[in-house]
Amino acid sequence: MKALFKKELQFYLNNPLGYISLALFGVFANFMFVKDIFVYGSASLRPFFEILPWLFMIFIPAISMRLFAEEKRTNTIETLLSLPISEMQIVFSKFLATLVLAGIGLLLTLGLPISMYALTKQAGARIYLPEVFVGYGGQLLLACGFTAVSLFFSVKTKNQIIAFLGSVITLFFLVIFSTDFAASVLPRMLQEIFNYLSPVTQLDNFIKGVLDVRSIFYFVSMTALFLFLTVVDLEKRQ
Amino acid sequence: MIQLTNVTKQFGQTYAVDSISFQTKTGEIIGFLGPNGAGKTTTMRLILGLLKPTSGTITVQKLDPIRNRLDVLAQIGYLPENNPLYGEMKVSEYLGCIAEIKGLAEASHVQEVVKQVTIEDKLNSKIEELSRGYRQRVGLAAALLGDPAVLILDEPTSGLDPIEQDKIKKLIKTVAKKKIVIFSTHILSEVEDIANRLIIIDQGSIVYDGAKPARKGSVAKLFKKLVS
Repeated sequence: MKALFKKELQFYLNNPLGYISLALFGVFANFMFVKDIFVYGSASLRPFFEILPWLFMIFIPAISMRLFAEEKRTNTIETLLSLPISEMQIVFSKFLATLVLAGIGLLLTLGLPISMYALTKQAGARIYLPEVFVGYGGQLLLACGFTAVSLFFSVKTKNQIIAFLGSVITLFFLVIFSTDFAASVLPRMLQEIFNYLSPVTQLDNFIKGVLDVRSIFYFVSMTALFLFLTVVDLEKRQ
Repeated sequence: MIQLTNVTKQFGQTYAVDSISFQTKTGEIIGFLGPNGAGKTTTMRLILGLLKPTSGTITVQKLDPIRNRLDVLAQIGYLPENNPLYGEMKVSEYLGCIAEIKGLAEASHVQEVVKQVTIEDKLNSKIEELSRGYRQRVGLAAALLGDPAVLILDEPTSGLDPIEQDKIKKLIKTVAKKKIVIFSTHILSEVEDIANRLIIIDQGSIVYDGAKPARKGSVAKLFKKLVS
């Protein structure tokens, strides 16, 4: 599993795709927050954490779309499946490599809390550190869920673009379930169900700095479900 | 030993393989001959556990390739048709990765295989930059890693020039002594050069299974006689 994980990570690190995706994510994530930093009126990263799901919605499918689709297109999947490595190990290796890249993307935004900490300290105030740590933890869990969804769409097709669009559209719907727009168009009962199912709703507590076991369970379940479906699809070749 | 007993593989209404049976033993180099779409690749994928038979049983070294997938695959070296490789990787990286997946700790074994297939001078080249002949040798090296008891080679010389074909054929003969080798081809002369047993498959059924005819050119005659 380690060998395949290394191979996948090396692909990102030896390829412009990895760096371009990371650079774009880093620039957009930092810019989207900084451009309105003085409008927020408080030394909090909450607005930043609220932006991230929208960026992850594009960034994660962009880096995951090739993982299985390309293997299927070039038929290297046959080489891979003829090696003594289980389908679960294959899926986990690819999942972890993508997650590491998403983690690097998050690291690129660490300048924000650090500079905010320095600025507030100068002004004799303090930012609420648990909110920062728990907020980042929540984003990492969100990245796990989004990566699992993207892997699932990648295993379903030979075409990277279809894999990308499939994941982006699914993630888009999951994200907008929590918005006022969804609330205004959906019947009340559906609205409550969909709102609960939205990862953005589950992220709310993390953004406030609250570790909620139910939300952790939600993200773990979401990740496990889509990874399981990916493994099942890979096994279905038999 | 590989044993197939009344194995059938259906895709919808189509019989890709229809009730085939054969068994192999160490030292046999089996030329698996048949026209395009005869069921050669399907049979190979069935032995590897990449496909599940619709009916019948398959055992590789007494193990079921579906139930004991990893144990079976640990004993098989496979070169798929068209030899799909990770073009963006260097040869050394690729073979290192395959060796690690196969659980081979010793780098000396990789070096030995590299020497065997004579690709020492290409270790630092990217696979996508290699000629077809070299790519084929890299694929063969990957299949040979771990010294598997069974080698399954799907059209190993397809698309190669005659010089490269000869090199690959010699290589197969060299490595085959203590193994079971099954190689598919539709090049009749190849079977005469390498195989010591011949299986001809047509429309999913085995139409000939026996020793390779001794006389030069007789494989072609036999093939034309049996295959519709």
